[in-house]
Amino acid sequence: MNRSGTLALLIAASTLASPAAAETLRMAYATAPISVDPYPYSDSQTAGLGEHIFETLVALDNKPLLATQWQWESPTAAVVKLRDGVKFSNGMPFGARDVVFSMCRMMHPVNGKPNVLTSSLGPVRNVVAVDDHTVRFETTAPYPILFQKLKFLKILSAQANGVTADIAYDGQGDCGIAASYPAQADFDSGKAAIGTGPYLLQQFQATGDATLVPNAGYWGAKAEWDQVEIRSVANNGARIAGLLAGDYDVIEKPGAEDIAVIERDDQFATSSTPGLQTIFIVLDISADGAPGVTAANGAAPLADPRVRWALSMAIDRDAIVGRLFQGNATAANQFAPSYMDGAPEMPPLPYDADAAKKLLAEAGFADGFSMELSVPNDRYLNGTVVAQALAQYWTRLGVRVSLKTEPWSVFLTRRGDGELGAFMYGWGHPQGAAQLISGAFAQKDADLGLGSANMSNYADPDFEAAIRAWAVETDDAKADALIATAMARAVEDMPGIPLYYNHEVWGHRADLAVTGNADGRTMAGMVHRK
Amino acid sequence: MASFIIRRIGQSAVLLFIMSLLVFVGMYMVSDPVAVLAGDDFTAADREALARSLGLDRPLPLQYLAFLGNVLTGDFGQSYVYNRPVLDLIFERLPATLEMVCLAMVLGVAIGIPLGIWSGLNRRHPATRAVSFATTVGYSIPNFWQALLLILVFSVWLRWLPASGRGDTVPLLGAGWSFLTIDGLRHMLLPAANLAVAIVCMQTRLTRSGTEEVMFQDYMMFARSKGIPRWRLVNRHLLRNILIPIVTITGLELGALIAFSTVTETVFSWPGIGKLLLDSIYRSDRPVVVAYMILITVMFVAINLVVDILYALLDPRIRYS
Repeated sequence: MNRSGTLALLIAASTLASPAAAETLRMAYATAPISVDPYPYSDSQTAGLGEHIFETLVALDNKPLLATQWQWESPTAAVVKLRDGVKFSNGMPFGARDVVFSMCRMMHPVNGKPNVLTSSLGPVRNVVAVDDHTVRFETTAPYPILFQKLKFLKILSAQANGVTADIAYDGQGDCGIAASYPAQADFDSGKAAIGTGPYLLQQFQATGDATLVPNAGYWGAKAEWDQVEIRSVANNGARIAGLLAGDYDVIEKPGAEDIAVIERDDQFATSSTPGLQTIFIVLDISADGAPGVTAANGAAPLADPRVRWALSMAIDRDAIVGRLFQGNATAANQFAPSYMDGAPEMPPLPYDADAAKKLLAEAGFADGFSMELSVPNDRYLNGTVVAQALAQYWTRLGVRVSLKTEPWSVFLTRRGDGELGAFMYGWGHPQGAAQLISGAFAQKDADLGLGSANMSNYADPDFEAAIRAWAVETDDAKADALIATAMARAVEDMPGIPLYYNHEVWGHRADLAVTGNADGRTMAGMVHRK
Repeated sequence: MASFIIRRIGQSAVLLFIMSLLVFVGMYMVSDPVAVLAGDDFTAADREALARSLGLDRPLPLQYLAFLGNVLTGDFGQSYVYNRPVLDLIFERLPATLEMVCLAMVLGVAIGIPLGIWSGLNRRHPATRAVSFATTVGYSIPNFWQALLLILVFSVWLRWLPASGRGDTVPLLGAGWSFLTIDGLRHMLLPAANLAVAIVCMQTRLTRSGTEEVMFQDYMMFARSKGIPRWRLVNRHLLRNILIPIVTITGLELGALIAFSTVTETVFSWPGIGKLLLDSIYRSDRPVVVAYMILITVMFVAINLVVDILYALLDPRIRYS
């Protein structure tokens, strides 16, 4: 047989073989995952990569994952039942000791640096392996959001790291086993990347590129893809181009204006799902005035709730959602996504420019006032465009807005130094409806985990009472009622102005179905062949 | 020559010191790493512990002195974000940038210089006008816009080349290189072309104006009247005389591309050091930014030194003493 004949045969053979050939899913992230180590990082991409490999006890949507049941035995002790028959990717069985081990590793400083996730589990005093499949969490005080916080606890194998005896938990994460903890480099090399998740790490590069293959022994639904490639393309336009050029099958976070470009092509489609992030404006409502906010009569405009309501009523949220987001956002009516579990029913926030003007005049600012509005320019989807719209709405109201857009790092530094009187912020964690108001509007209380980011100087006795009661209420129904009280109060007083809830959007090949995650993480498990 | 080099190194040490101080103080003033690294639910005590663990609880002069002491022992510190030595981070990503820039430079010089000489020699040819127009346009279009056009044409419409990423790499000397695989070269072509456009335009215009000037010099007239063949005239008499400004610009461009091809690397997701610098500035990863700027300064000093030595080789009239 001559050479071209052989070649033709080879091509024919490879075509025949292709239906059974490995199917690779290629996904492009918007920023590069930093490491495979599940603990020191909280950004969405690092967490997304990690969750292919490691699983948590409780799933994002509060469904059971590695835990099957959890409940409060007493106000300071929670019992978690673990799933039977789960194995780690190296074949070792999963059990209670692994949970204790993972808690210890999570609390342990990495390279002497406290873990970004650690402070959220500070009230946990002890973690006990009661039997092979039962774990008891003991807290210093009632800590009802423990199960929400457990969504950050990714489970590592104790045995794979050489720990085979019982572990005595301590809050510093030493636990007498600190020497056994894998280093960040061990996770990145794949040596310690042993989890219970649907995929295994085949390769991770320092640039954030990763390749995953199915975990054959996975306890749940089998992985649909023979191989998953994760790449990252920071530039929006280039990410879209990569999809259109056929380099990627799924991309995350297309810009609002790019969605139409993708939809125009029959070969591609977009999928979206309502997200967890609430975008709002924080106002410094101190009686002695806010930085960057000045009125002719020397008064403190933002200290008057009528002024705050006027600012809110001047904003046409439906126009922002419809025009700037093409419907890929929901107008906000409270400080948590209204569709989230535990979020109270609230009426829509009114848009009435004339009433807003009257309200402002009633408050004694008929001539308006001057206000600086600070917005990070590299953080929130459409953030600066929305800020420009706000500036226009408020200018119509008579408020002279000077818009300051800054890089995130500069913005955070100025915020930390207390230089911002009014600023845009986004809050989106899968931790229940009270998370934002408990962090941004409650008085600081390290023991109850309240008010860590209170920049508005809001202090209302009724709100305080409700939120402090919520912080220690382990009964779900009672906790929800307290959230409703606190939320209604916060919206009434408006120490911040809720704007909208971001939806999470993916662009993908039209022959794929993408279900999407509310936390915006891009996972192979949410991509299916049609 | 030796004393010239020694003097130059002495000056460079002072330059490096000033540079490190400027970058250190600049980063300190712009953003606070603790504010960026801490989570929203960090308590005041958590923030203090974080600052302490990074050594940021000390006053600035002490932080700088500690940094300086470490650098003198070769330790540029650990990245706040990656928890790894910053030199590792930089040298891991350096090959990607180097190979892309080298390809761009080769393309730029190989196209630009012959094109410039040809246009200089054929001033009245209609194609010369076209070249002149094209180089003006090419030099004026912003870099990122060119990049997007390249992606649109070659990746989205024609589907010839991939739009982003680095492709397959082959390990060599402890680093991965793309230029050794077909897939890697395919990935490299668009970003390199994006950088090369500006180089081609610059080199063409520079070479053309040099050619036009030299061709009318008395010694060229004389050589021509002696009947020296045209190729020899160009190679020997023309090229050597126009090369000094070209070498200078090439050297500076090489340095600038290695240090600051940030835009190209970002648009094409080319995982080089430019992208590392940008990410690190955004994340307030001070040790990476400071080490990067110091290394870049060292590189510029080295390139300029090589350029100066090349001068002397090209033009025997130049002597350093």
